[in-house]
Amino acid sequence: MKKNNVLISKSLVSMSKCISVAGLIATTALASVAQAESLLITNAEVHTVSSQGILSNASVFIEEGKISAVYASGETPESITPDSTVDAAGRILTPGFIASNNILGLVEVGAVSQSRDASDKKADITFDASLAFNPKSTLIPYTRKGGITSNVVTPHGGEGIFKGQTFIVDLSGEFNSVIRANDAVIVELGSKRKGSRAMALQKLTNTLADAKKAIEKSEKAKDKSKNKEPKRKELPVHALLKGEKLLLAYADRATDILALLKLKKQYQLNLVLVGARDAILVKEDIVAANVPVMTSAIDNLPNSFDSLHGSLTMIAELEKAGVNVILTPSGESHNINQLRYDAGVAIANGLSQTSALAAVTANVADTFKLNSGRISVGKKADLVLWSNDPFEISTKVDAMWINGQKVSTQSRQDALRDRYTTQSDMPRAYTK
Amino acid sequence: MLANRTEQKMAIKVLSISVLSVALSACLSEEKQDAKVTINKNPYPSSYQVLPKQNTLLTNATILTGTGERLDNSDILLVDGKVQQVGTDLSAQDVTVIDMQGKWITPGIIDVHSHLGVYPSPQVDSHSDGNEMTAPNTSEVWAEHSIWPQDPGFQTARAGGVTSLQILPGSANLFGGRGVTLRNVPSHTMQGMKFAEAPYGLKMACGENPKRVYGSRKVLPSTRMGNVAGYRSAWIAATEYKRAWEKYESDYNAGKNPEAPKRDLELDTLMGVLDGEILIHNHCYKAEEMAVMIDLSKEFNYHAGTFHHGVEAYKIADLLAENGNCVAMWPDWWGFKMEAYDMVEENVAIVDAVKNSCAVVHSDSATTIQRLNHEAAKVLYRANENGFELKEEDAIKWITHNAAKSLGISDKVGSLASGKKADVVVWNTNPFSIYAKAEQVFIDGAKVYDRFDEKYQAKSDFLLGQAQGNK
Repeated sequence: MKKNNVLISKSLVSMSKCISVAGLIATTALASVAQAESLLITNAEVHTVSSQGILSNASVFIEEGKISAVYASGETPESITPDSTVDAAGRILTPGFIASNNILGLVEVGAVSQSRDASDKKADITFDASLAFNPKSTLIPYTRKGGITSNVVTPHGGEGIFKGQTFIVDLSGEFNSVIRANDAVIVELGSKRKGSRAMALQKLTNTLADAKKAIEKSEKAKDKSKNKEPKRKELPVHALLKGEKLLLAYADRATDILALLKLKKQYQLNLVLVGARDAILVKEDIVAANVPVMTSAIDNLPNSFDSLHGSLTMIAELEKAGVNVILTPSGESHNINQLRYDAGVAIANGLSQTSALAAVTANVADTFKLNSGRISVGKKADLVLWSNDPFEISTKVDAMWINGQKVSTQSRQDALRDRYTTQSDMPRAYTK
Repeated sequence: MLANRTEQKMAIKVLSISVLSVALSACLSEEKQDAKVTINKNPYPSSYQVLPKQNTLLTNATILTGTGERLDNSDILLVDGKVQQVGTDLSAQDVTVIDMQGKWITPGIIDVHSHLGVYPSPQVDSHSDGNEMTAPNTSEVWAEHSIWPQDPGFQTARAGGVTSLQILPGSANLFGGRGVTLRNVPSHTMQGMKFAEAPYGLKMACGENPKRVYGSRKVLPSTRMGNVAGYRSAWIAATEYKRAWEKYESDYNAGKNPEAPKRDLELDTLMGVLDGEILIHNHCYKAEEMAVMIDLSKEFNYHAGTFHHGVEAYKIADLLAENGNCVAMWPDWWGFKMEAYDMVEENVAIVDAVKNSCAVVHSDSATTIQRLNHEAAKVLYRANENGFELKEEDAIKWITHNAAKSLGISDKVGSLASGKKADVVVWNTNPFSIYAKAEQVFIDGAKVYDRFDEKYQAKSDFLLGQAQGNK
């Protein structure tokens, strides 16, 4: 990877003083994980995805599941007494990658309907699929092989335009994996097999207009106690209008994208475009509206009349124009560990390494307000130590941590491989 | 199986039969012979023409031959559309010499499993022609009759170095119909892409798909045992059909005037398999099902061919190699169905490790066909992390030579040996790097793609003239 050795030893020294304060705050806030051991990762090439850039021979100190200090080369104080130390031996340390736009934990086998929980005919804007999240799914350890430590799950909802709400999980595989439920509202626009795309846009517009009117009415009411309590379905819409929730909008054709940008302006929405396959046609408008785009790096084919202008260089072109890009895994949920390869393909087609890394870490964290995605003080210690360039196929995850806890990349696939590559006189079933 | 007289006449009328010289044999016979009925085995022949080409010498590259060799700082000479020589310090007269310092050269990539043209982009019902899902046995359909040559996916696959590919029907049926192998050149007809010397394939499918599609219609098969009963019934019919044609042939040659069997399109294809002229391409994921399919082939005396997808091939790698089956696999697709649940990332490597094996990496995808080099790379590196010692020169075989073997064309393509068709890809770097891109692609010695020269970047009719952005 291209190195951007920022000389920041001075600022780091001053920072390390501030760190102890931050560390204290973290300790208070995270009393429940107060038993977590501290860890010092030394001699790493730390890709901070922050203004600190890339630090060679750096150390990262982790306490109480959070990053409590980042030390540039030669700056690690001798007074530090971590419970354990990992010598990175010059290898690359990045923030854990954050996947999105998939249904990890809501499906075990795609064609086995009993193992699918991402959609329901009756699901509406209130659909909270986090209740169905299965942290013990075999997909999760396999996903970790791709250096992915957390995920924005986007359920598929029901028949209406609103598909429910996203939720955020970490990939620890523990029962407390859900970080935040009922996060962004998902809306799906664009081509319809039956009917007109206009109806979806009208429905969205009317929903927003009606809710705005209702809010204004209740605000103007002299006797507020007589205001009707908003219906359950209306609450997420109100949250959208108050800027408390993101609106994640699936749309590909440029006209739909423009219509969404207009709604964003009219209602001051926190809009995020998903898919946006023809975004290239309206990239300046997207930049002007300051709307992030979540999309795949490898969906370059004209799969529909909504997406005639895709290409492998699209990500680089959007980024160059100033669009805040989040790379989402292509396909469904079983192979999202390949997100890093998709990012690599984007790099091969013009995206910078730095931007590619941000597109799977900090950009996602910023958009979804996650305390991860960067290696800086106070962030969650979701970290990945790579054998080499994180985007190369020849590279693997050597070690990874979620909330400062080391997690394994061993999966069911490894157990099967070992069973069938181990010699035995007995049937394979005895090899465990 | 024999037709009555009227049907026989109809058949003769309808089928454009070739009238052979029957005078000689007729003389020996007491019975007057009708014209001999033969089946035209190539009614939709290739009209492929090599694109404008010149003799070319590519020098100073790292060359992976496709047959297990890696040659550093080497040259390759392409003359008259063929690989003439691979080696060091080559020279030739009247050739274009291109210095390929730092580049890697491989044989053209071959995908044994594609639905380009039959499930094209855009994915509209009007072009969804890849699977005749109206009966469990549709051996009578030929994928080539569905191909839309304007599928933009052919161009993006070419930009990924794909020079030959087999287009298969889908997997809903026990017998899905014939597959066809194409040269990946732009053409406005299917025939213009057809690989003239390649044998036809017959798509078969095991497991979940046929039993789901037909079981839901209360038609056999609704179970895996129903699947196998369906195959066996079909092969019994095909065996009788073949016998009838052989009897007709021998009776006719003996000077008799036999009635030709009634022509049956479905059985023509199955008979082609029994005659060894059509190769089986069998969608089959699970170990126990592949083992049954091998025994099925022995029961009816044909070769079980190539297993496609073979997610569990690693469980029976010995059996597959022993029986001479190729297995075309993904590196890591899994979990979309129960039969794809037991994926291991080393599947291809485990199959490959057995003597006389034929491991192939396939795409079955308009997206990953653009990066079969990366698909193979994933196997290479994951396997090496777990005890294998594979090299680039091994991995390239999975998407070149072994793929050609699976398609019955390894004597013509799939390797950079002298005399092979000059299907060549020049890569910017090691093709197993994520940053690898095909820079130039040659088919039969003619440049069909150049990343840096728009002149060599074909565009489908469909995308031509579509509106661009405002700027």
